[in-house]
Amino acid sequence: MRGTLAVARYTLLDLSRRRILLVFFIIGALGIALIGTALKLFSSTFTGGAFSGPSGTTPDPANVNRFLDLMFVTDLVGALGLFALLIAFGIGMTAIYHDLESGAAVAIFSKPVSRLAFTGGKVSAAAAALIVIVGLLSLEAMLFGLLFGGGLEQTLAIEAVAQVANALTLMLIVLALSTWMNNIVAAIVAFIYNAAGGVVVALHNSLASSVNFGDSAILKDGINVLYWLVPHQLTSDAPRELVKAEIQLFAVPGQPGPDLNQALAAVPGPSGANDIIWWAFVVLVMATLVYIAVRRRQV
Amino acid sequence: MAPVVSVEALRKRYRRRDPWAVDGVTFALEPGQAFGLLGPNGSGKTSVVKMIAGLLRPDGGAITLFGSKPGDPAARAQLGFAPEDPDFPKFLRAREVLDYFASLLGLDEDDRKRRIPETLAFAGLDQEKRQVRQFSKGMKQRLGIAQAILGRPKLLILDEPTADLDPLGRRDVRALIESLKDSGVAVLLNSHLLSEVELVCDTVAILAKGHVLKEGTMAEVVPEGRTLEDVFVELVQASAPPKQDNLPSFITDKENQ
Repeated sequence: MRGTLAVARYTLLDLSRRRILLVFFIIGALGIALIGTALKLFSSTFTGGAFSGPSGTTPDPANVNRFLDLMFVTDLVGALGLFALLIAFGIGMTAIYHDLESGAAVAIFSKPVSRLAFTGGKVSAAAAALIVIVGLLSLEAMLFGLLFGGGLEQTLAIEAVAQVANALTLMLIVLALSTWMNNIVAAIVAFIYNAAGGVVVALHNSLASSVNFGDSAILKDGINVLYWLVPHQLTSDAPRELVKAEIQLFAVPGQPGPDLNQALAAVPGPSGANDIIWWAFVVLVMATLVYIAVRRRQV
Repeated sequence: MAPVVSVEALRKRYRRRDPWAVDGVTFALEPGQAFGLLGPNGSGKTSVVKMIAGLLRPDGGAITLFGSKPGDPAARAQLGFAPEDPDFPKFLRAREVLDYFASLLGLDEDDRKRRIPETLAFAGLDQEKRQVRQFSKGMKQRLGIAQAILGRPKLLILDEPTADLDPLGRRDVRALIESLKDSGVAVLLNSHLLSEVELVCDTVAILAKGHVLKEGTMAEVVPEGRTLEDVFVELVQASAPPKQDNLPSFITDKENQ
């Protein structure tokens, strides 16, 4: 425990002085501020009755406000997610790799610290750094939410937690890979794996909605198998609410609207208990892989 | 007296197809003894000390460090290891590096307050405020030695400790080794600087291609009227095929001069 705390403490100090993380944080903070301000200006321009849908229909102002609120949350969360991923890459590529490659590990491992304690300290510090940085960006996003009129803090908070959780998974994948290979190659492999995971989950969602796949049992089984080989991005119901609000907003009275199920099929739904359990399992597996790699490592 | 470290028929190779980097090395060190491990580049010296420090896994043989395996943290608590080309978390300062290692060693607050400034002063880094990434090789080497002695080890392993040091730094390291020996600390010194080894070591082992060519006290290895360098060159050359004069022709060609 003593070793874990020492490794975590000094890894945090080392990470806090890395300029790349500071740059990502500043760009993230400015990006969120810009998006928040732009949406605020956008909403004040269009909520005065100047917003019109197809065929010149004027949507219900309450729907417009709801739509803008959700768009605001979704855009902020999108920006937050993007910067969370950048920060996850920044931390994952450096937290362990530099110690192992620079020779710092030689001096550290000759001290009375177990490889398990070292890994525990590194992973805890990396996770804490990620949570603090993304947490600060989420707080900023929430402040902009309040500036916008408030009322969606809970949605934003749930999405922010989901984004932190997703970034944590990606960071652990990069950490695990960077203990086996060059950190840039590790980042590229993790990026491809993460993107492929996103595609597989989207295909699986479409499959669950029984659209687009016909009756191909092999394809369905294949996607089901792949689904349990990739991390599942955690989400709140905000993305689906936005699509619903958009459909309602632009619906022409008296005419049938588009099929809601079909429209929502490719949009990830709110994560359930299974997804959260799977996320925890993936985190555990990745942390274990980091430990195995560190334990086997000869320096 | 029980040995501080004993190495028995130690073997190591890095890949299956590679020749043995260390092949059948055997020696033991007692408290207060300074042991010099000598050899040309690639002779296996660093591999031997890294296996003793638990950083590399041997492929054969046995190592006992304070009666335990090198992987045992309790044994490593009594070990100080100054690696060749040391490096540290690069965004930390010298004081923070020592505080980090003091935490890993489990030193209490009083010990830290006393030992860290004194160790920094010994290493000539007490006024240094820059981060490790801005250190020269010599400064990193001094910090490497500082972290190795911080825990007041009973076995100090110095792997090429003076390679990047200036003459004053080398003199300090010699004084450190003498002082530690006097207080019963065993010192294992890897060095190419044979004159230095001759000055401080009681026993030596000369390695080439992973084998021990000769081992014994300084008097046993170096006969009267000869130097350690004479013996070293003779043994190493005898163990290798005769070396051609490989000087580039543009250096030796008189027409180019």
